[in-house]
Amino acid sequence: MMESLFYLASFIALVATVLALSRANATHALIYLIVSLLAVAVIFFLLGAPFAAALEVLIYAGAIMVLFIFVIMMLNLGDSGVAKERQWLSPRYWIVPGLLAAILFGEMLVALQHHSAALSGKMISPKAVALELFGPYVLAVEIASMLLLAGLVGAYHLGRRFLARTEMEEELQEELKEQEQQRAQP
Amino acid sequence: MSTADLLALLPLLVLSVGALLLMLQIAFIRNVQFSSALTLLIFALAALSCGPATDYAPRLVTPLLIADKLALLFTALFCLAGFVTTVLSMDYMQRRGDQPEEYYLLLILSSLGACVLAYAEHLGSLILGMELLSVALYALIAYPDKSILPLEAASKYLVLSGAASATLLFGFALLYAITGSLGFSDLGTQLATQPSGNIMLLVAMALILAGLGFKLSLVPFHMWTPDVYQGAPSPVTGFLASVAKAAIFLLFLRLFIDAKLYRYNMLLNCLALVAILSMLVGNVLALQQDNIKRMLSYSSIAHMGYLLIILVVCGSSNNRALAIEAASYYLIAYTATTLAAFGLLSLISAQQQQRENVLLDDVSGLFWQQPLLAGLMLIALLSLAGIPLTAGFVAKFYIFSAAISGYHWGLIAALILGSAIGIYYYLRVIFYMSKRNSPSYTLASTASGWHISSLSTALMIIILLLGTAPQPLMAYLRSIL
Repeated sequence: MMESLFYLASFIALVATVLALSRANATHALIYLIVSLLAVAVIFFLLGAPFAAALEVLIYAGAIMVLFIFVIMMLNLGDSGVAKERQWLSPRYWIVPGLLAAILFGEMLVALQHHSAALSGKMISPKAVALELFGPYVLAVEIASMLLLAGLVGAYHLGRRFLARTEMEEELQEELKEQEQQRAQP
Repeated sequence: MSTADLLALLPLLVLSVGALLLMLQIAFIRNVQFSSALTLLIFALAALSCGPATDYAPRLVTPLLIADKLALLFTALFCLAGFVTTVLSMDYMQRRGDQPEEYYLLLILSSLGACVLAYAEHLGSLILGMELLSVALYALIAYPDKSILPLEAASKYLVLSGAASATLLFGFALLYAITGSLGFSDLGTQLATQPSGNIMLLVAMALILAGLGFKLSLVPFHMWTPDVYQGAPSPVTGFLASVAKAAIFLLFLRLFIDAKLYRYNMLLNCLALVAILSMLVGNVLALQQDNIKRMLSYSSIAHMGYLLIILVVCGSSNNRALAIEAASYYLIAYTATTLAAFGLLSLISAQQQQRENVLLDDVSGLFWQQPLLAGLMLIALLSLAGIPLTAGFVAKFYIFSAAISGYHWGLIAALILGSAIGIYYYLRVIFYMSKRNSPSYTLASTASGWHISSLSTALMIIILLLGTAPQPLMAYLRSIL
């Protein structure tokens, strides 16, 4: 019974990933990617790692995907974008991802009813994860903090060039305007 | 963690605290001179702190890191290499790009990653160290603001290196699924109970070999190397070619020995094949390059091929000690030599505003203009070619004797053939350098100053000393292994 739930979730993850890869439209691809991540979260839950499942939903399907969607929304500015978005809301675009997500939700409900439906027979609580992280693996947390620092500094430096460029362009445009005004005055 | 644990990790702590100090300095006062001086101080302190840390070696500090003398030796080497890279970068960064301070911060973080790799005894610290090393390198490669080539190189390295890390992680996940352990020596004991024909194990090893092969730019996975080396700022290329490669190879060696991967004949055969391909393809492709950076990148592929011979030799238990000793010696010699070779290139390209290339024509007549720097390049190239009296000769001799003691005739044939091809293209650069009255004579203006001349003299002396009086280092290596 539990095994079949696992295989179903894995199947959904695979199907959603393939669909995500084959979509021509980035937003549709993202929706399938979210479904795929949700399926992975269900697998984690079935394996007895509810904490990892929650993190998967919160961080991957939540935070990172929202960032992706923001970027894509910013790229689709203008009235034509609104018209397109209205078109995307037609059922044939959301019915398949919705169906897949509904199956996953059903799986979660079944798993919850069977009480900590762990395939491995062992639940890993958040407390156990924390004890490991700040016990034997405390140095891993420290090294990871340095890794994040490197990523942050690198992203700041590489992103800064675009900020600097827009500022320069604005200054340039202001100068041009001033010059035009000066020309117009006499 | 006890005090002894912390003392055994002293170099890592010095580097981490140094990175934080430098970050605070950049946040409050931006000053390039001060940043570079602070960086030099941090690297020097970290290298020096390896001395007191050896009193506590060998010591397993949490399951993640092992502070043995080999790790400390290589940590000192990486910190010194970071020191040299900082000196070489000073002129380079002053000319290019605004806000050059973060460059030094990223350099320290990248070296920290390499040092973590030297300490790693666990798949977790392996991945974290490797990512720290590469994430800082992505930003370092793309650091110069105004040109497109570094950005292209960085994005290539980012995407391909990310794919390689994913491959590696998949391999580790399979290993964990089979054995249930992540520590290197645990893996060794657990794998002993598994039948060697386990299909999951084979897939895991193929994935790990592919991931590490990419990071070391071994032949089927080498396509990124020339573009990244060419596009990156020259001091960063030197760092990437020496420290990043040496750290990852050292880690591969540790994984290979501690997890007893040498028991699998299939893996040994794959490694031998990859080694032969790397030696031949790397050298043949290097023949066709006019750009010295690209030539050195192909030659680094070949050098990684020479090093892989060591892993194959490790297969028989009689020669294992000799093989590890040879690998350590080769890595030290290779790091010093590569830093010297790229040092000259970065001094030349520091004077060029946009162009990152150093063509053969750019160095023509260098002997008559800058004898000291040309001498450094001469010795570095001779050492890479493996000419006697230089570090490269002793290192290659070491590998040769290790291979002979294991009767690996095919590998020896490829080594000889590759070295013979290598001599041609290394000598070609020397030939160009000694040309008189060439039309592009004036192009080769290089940065100068007392720090450059003292650094080049020191590197030259090190390479020559390693080549003429290798006994002290050999004896030390034998005593710690």
